[in-house]
Amino acid sequence: AVRHSRRGSSSHGSLSFLGLTPSARDPATAVRRRNRGPRNRKKGWKRWAGPEARLGREIGDFLEDVTLQQRVAGGLIAEQPDAGLFFVDTGSAEKGERRKRKNKIREKPLHIDLVLRPDSKVPAPKDILSHQIPNGRKERRRQQFWERMAQRGVLPRSERRLQTRLQNPAPPREKPPEKGRLDPGRSFYDIWADDNPLERALVGQDAWFLQQTQKQRVKRPLRLQQKPSQLPAVEVIAPGGSYNPTFEDHQVCGGDKVERQLRFPTAAEAPTAETVFREQCEGLLEESGDEEEEEEEKEEEEKKEEAVGGAQPSDPPRLLHRPGKKTEQQRRKEKEARELQRRRLKALRCRQQQLFRLRSLGRQLRRWEQELLRRRRAREAKRREMEGRPRRLGRIKYEDPALEVQLSDELPEGSVLHDRFKSLQKRSLIEPRERAKFKRKYRLKYVEKRAFREVT
Amino acid sequence: MGGLEKKKYQRGSATNYITRNKARKKLQLSLPDFRRLCILKGIYPHEPKHKKKVNKGSTAARTFYLLKDIKFLLHEPIVNKFREYKIFVRKLRKAYGKSEWGTAERLKDNKPTYKLDHIVKERYPTFVDALRDLDDALSMCFLFSTFPRTGKCHVQTIQLCRRLAVEFLNYVIASRSLRKVFLSIKGIYYQAEVLGQPITWITPYAFAHDHPTDVDYRVMATFTEFYTTLLGFVNFRLYHSLNLHYPPKIDGQAEVELKPAEGKEYAMDSESYLEKLSALSASLARVVAPTQEDDVEMDEFPVEGETAEQMDARRKEQEALEKHKKLFEGLRFFLNREVPREPLAFIIRCFGGQVSWDKSLCIGATYDVSDPSITHQIVDRPQVEQQVVGRYYLQPQWVFDSVNAKLCLPVADYFPGVLLPPHLSPFVTEQEGDYIPPEKLKLLAMQRGEDPGEESEEEEEEEEEEDDNDKEEEEEEEDESEKEEEMKLKKMEEQKTQSNKALPVKVTAGKVRLEDKQRLEQEQQSEEKRLAIMMMKKREKYLYKKIMFGKKRKIREANKLAAKRKAHDTAMKEEKKKTKKARHA
Repeated sequence: AVRHSRRGSSSHGSLSFLGLTPSARDPATAVRRRNRGPRNRKKGWKRWAGPEARLGREIGDFLEDVTLQQRVAGGLIAEQPDAGLFFVDTGSAEKGERRKRKNKIREKPLHIDLVLRPDSKVPAPKDILSHQIPNGRKERRRQQFWERMAQRGVLPRSERRLQTRLQNPAPPREKPPEKGRLDPGRSFYDIWADDNPLERALVGQDAWFLQQTQKQRVKRPLRLQQKPSQLPAVEVIAPGGSYNPTFEDHQVCGGDKVERQLRFPTAAEAPTAETVFREQCEGLLEESGDEEEEEEEKEEEEKKEEAVGGAQPSDPPRLLHRPGKKTEQQRRKEKEARELQRRRLKALRCRQQQLFRLRSLGRQLRRWEQELLRRRRAREAKRREMEGRPRRLGRIKYEDPALEVQLSDELPEGSVLHDRFKSLQKRSLIEPRERAKFKRKYRLKYVEKRAFREVT
Repeated sequence: MGGLEKKKYQRGSATNYITRNKARKKLQLSLPDFRRLCILKGIYPHEPKHKKKVNKGSTAARTFYLLKDIKFLLHEPIVNKFREYKIFVRKLRKAYGKSEWGTAERLKDNKPTYKLDHIVKERYPTFVDALRDLDDALSMCFLFSTFPRTGKCHVQTIQLCRRLAVEFLNYVIASRSLRKVFLSIKGIYYQAEVLGQPITWITPYAFAHDHPTDVDYRVMATFTEFYTTLLGFVNFRLYHSLNLHYPPKIDGQAEVELKPAEGKEYAMDSESYLEKLSALSASLARVVAPTQEDDVEMDEFPVEGETAEQMDARRKEQEALEKHKKLFEGLRFFLNREVPREPLAFIIRCFGGQVSWDKSLCIGATYDVSDPSITHQIVDRPQVEQQVVGRYYLQPQWVFDSVNAKLCLPVADYFPGVLLPPHLSPFVTEQEGDYIPPEKLKLLAMQRGEDPGEESEEEEEEEEEEDDNDKEEEEEEEDESEKEEEMKLKKMEEQKTQSNKALPVKVTAGKVRLEDKQRLEQEQQSEEKRLAIMMMKKREKYLYKKIMFGKKRKIREANKLAAKRKAHDTAMKEEKKKTKKARHA
C-alpha cells in the first residue's frame, strides 16, 4: 500500500503541476508508457483501454508488490518494527572481517596462473658459475704474489703507469682550438707575400706530384674572375640625394632617371655627309676586285656541272623481263631521269641567262651583305644595352628601389642596408627573392575575455 | 641516313647549365649552405641565352648555374666543413635533448670551424685585385659595425667589423688618401685613393636605424663574413706599405698623453684599446721612425710619348694634390658635443688638422675647449653663448664643403644660425650643355682663384652687419675681431688672386688674331655641317633632327631651371627682407 500510494500521489502531482496544456505530459510517465502491442487490428486498440483495465493493472501491480515484500522482508514493510528495518552503525569491526575475506580471495591463485605452472616437479639446475670465480685459485695466488711484491716495493706495470701519469700529466693541448673566421681578435698576415703560410708547405715541391696527390687546390677558372656586371659596387646617389641639396638638383631628382634612359646620341655621333657616303659605298669598294673572280668561279662551276650532266644520262635499264616491253618500274625511272635532265637543262639555261645579269646580281649581293651588317650592328647594340641591366635570375624580376628624396625638414632617411642589398641584386650577384610567407593552417579564433568585455 | 638518333637536350646549352636544385643535390648541401658556398666562392647564377633550350622545353623562370662552376665547387674543402657542421649541430641537439651536459661541452669544444684565407687568395691572386673589390667590403663592414648588438647577427661579427673599419680609417688618416666626402640622405659617401685605386664606400649615420624586413640578413652576413677576411688581409698589407705596426699601435707620445687614468671611465681594459683607436685622435706608431729623407722630392722621368704640356699638367695636378692633402694643416678644431664626432674627426685628421672634443664625450680628447690655440670650433646650434675670441664658430658642413672644394671656403656662409649654402655632390662631373647650379659656378671660380660674386657677398655682409648692430655691444667686439680676421683673409686671398691674375693679361693680348682664325674655322665648320645635313638621307635626317631636338630640349630645360632658380632666389630675398623689417619694427 505504501508503494502504491506513493506512485499514485507522484503521478497525480505531476499531472497537477505540469498539465498546463493538454498535450504536456510528465516525462517520467511518458517513458514508462506501456507498449500496447500491434495497433493494426481492432484487438490491439481495445485491449487495456478503459478505466476497468487501468484498475485491473493497478491491482495487479499492488499484488505483485505485496508478494515481493513478503518474499524479501518476511511480511509487509509497513507492518515491520523499526528494529527489523534499521540497525545502528557501530564501526568497522565487521569491515575488517570482510577485508580478511577479500584477502583470502586474493591469496587464492588465479586460474590462469595455475594453468601456466610447469608440470615437472624436478627443480631447475643451479647456476654454478654465479657462485664460482673462474680461475679462482690462480687469481688468489697472483694476488698473494703481488702483495708480497708490494711489501718489497715492486708494483705491477699498470699501477706503475698510473702513478707516472699522475706525477707528470700530459702538457695542455699544444695548439688552442682553431679560432674561427669571425673571432674579433683573429690575426692576419700577408697573404700576397711570396712565403705566406698558406702556400709555405707546398713551396719547392714537384707540381705534378702535388696535382696528383690533390694537395694543390684546383685552379680557379679565369672566367670566374669576371664579374657578372660592370656596374660599380657603390653607386653614388644623385646630387639631389644630398642632405642639403641645391634647389635644382632636388627638382631634377625625379626626372633625371627618366632622362638617362632616353639619352639621345650626341652631335659627334650624328651622321655627316662623309659618313653617309661611306656607308653607302660600303659594299662597293671591294667590288671591282671581286667581280672578276666571281665570274670566273661561276664559269668554272658551270663547266663542272656540264661535265657531270654529260656523264649523267643513266645507263639504259636492263631488259630482263621481256625484250619488247618495259616494266612499270623501268618506265617510272626513265621518266624521272628525263625530268631530271629537263630541270638541269633549264637551270643551265637560267644560269647562262644570269651571266648577263651579273651586275644586278652583284647589286643584290651587296644589298644583302649590307642588310646583314645592319642586323649585326643592331644585335650588338642590343647586347650592349642589355649588358648594363640586371639579369633575370629567378622567378622574381629585379626592381629598382624607389627613388629616395628628402622632403623638406626630415631627418635623413634611407637605409644603407637596403641600398647594399639592392646593389647586390642589381649586379646579378644574388637572385632576387621573396621572403618565405608564413602560412597558417587553421583560422585564428578571437574571443574577448569576459573581464575585458565588462570593462569596455 | 645512318647513326644514332639525336635526342633533345643532351648536348649544347642544355648540358652546359644546371638548375640550382640539381646543383644543390650534386653538392649534397642544404639550400642555405649552398647559397653560402656560392657567395663565399664568388660563383653567381647565370642567365642562359636560350632559356627554353636550357630548361628542357619549359619556360619557367629558374635559377641556373654553369655546370663547370658547380664542378669547380666540388673541389672546395669548405663543403666538407659544412657537412661536418651539420653533423655537429645534430649531435649537440641530441646531447642537449638527453641532458648530457658533459657531452655537449665536449662537442662545443670541438666545434668545426673553417677559414676563408685560401678563398681570398684564390679570388684575388694579386693585391691590386683585392683593392679593386674593396668598395663592397668596406661598405659592408661599416654597415655591420653600426648594428646594435642584438640578435640580428653575431656579436663577434659586429666586433670584428668595427675593428677592421677602425683600422682602415686609421690607415686612411695615416696615408692622407681621402679625396671626396658627400653627405647624402642615405649615409656618408667617402672616396679615397689607395695606391692609385679610387675606393668609394658608404657609411650609415649613427642614428638608430630600423631594420628593414625585406632584406635577407643571412645573405648579407655571409657576404660580410667573406669581406671581413678580405679586409683584414688588405689592412695588414696597407699598414705594412706605410711601415706601420699591425695590429695598429698608438704612437708612444700620444699614448702617454692618453694614459692618465682616463680609460677606465669609458671602457673595460680589453675594450679601451679599440676605443682609443676608434677615437681617431692619435697617430699610429711606425715600425721605423720617419726620417726627413722621406720628404725629398722624387726625380721626375718623362714618360715616353708624353709632351711637355702633358707633363706640365701632370705636375700641376700633383701639386694640387699635395696642397689638398695639407688642407687643414696647422688648424686646431674643437667639436662640440652635438656634432657627429667620428666623421668629422676622421675628415679633419685626414687633411692634417688637429681635433679634440669634450672629455666626457669620448675617450681620446687631447685638449680642452678653453685651449686658446683652437682656431675652429664646430657647432651645430643656432646660437652660441660665451664665444671665445680668436676662433671661428662654424657649422659642420664647412668641413665637408671645404674638403670637396679643395680649399678652405670663406667662413661667413657657415656661421651658426646662418642659412647654409647647399651641399653639392663632389661625384658629379658636369658635361657640356648640362645645367650647372650657380653655387657650383661660384665654387669653380673660387678654385680657379678668382673671387666671384663679390657684390652679392658684400651685400650679405652688409646685411649681417646690420644684424650685428642690433645685437648687444659685447658681441660687437668679438665680431670686430672676426671682421679683422676676415679682412686679413680677404687680403691674403686678393694677393693670391693677383699673383694669378698677372699671367692671363699677357695671354689675352695675343688672343685677338686667334679669335679671327677660330671664327673662320668655326664658320667653315658650320658651313660644312650645314651641307652635310643637306646631303643626308631622309631617314638619317629624321634621326638627326630628333637628336638636335633632344639637345635643344635639354638646353631649354636648363634655362628653365635657371629661371626657376632666379625666381626662387628673389622670392627668398624678399622674404628675408620682410622678416628683417618685421624684426626692426
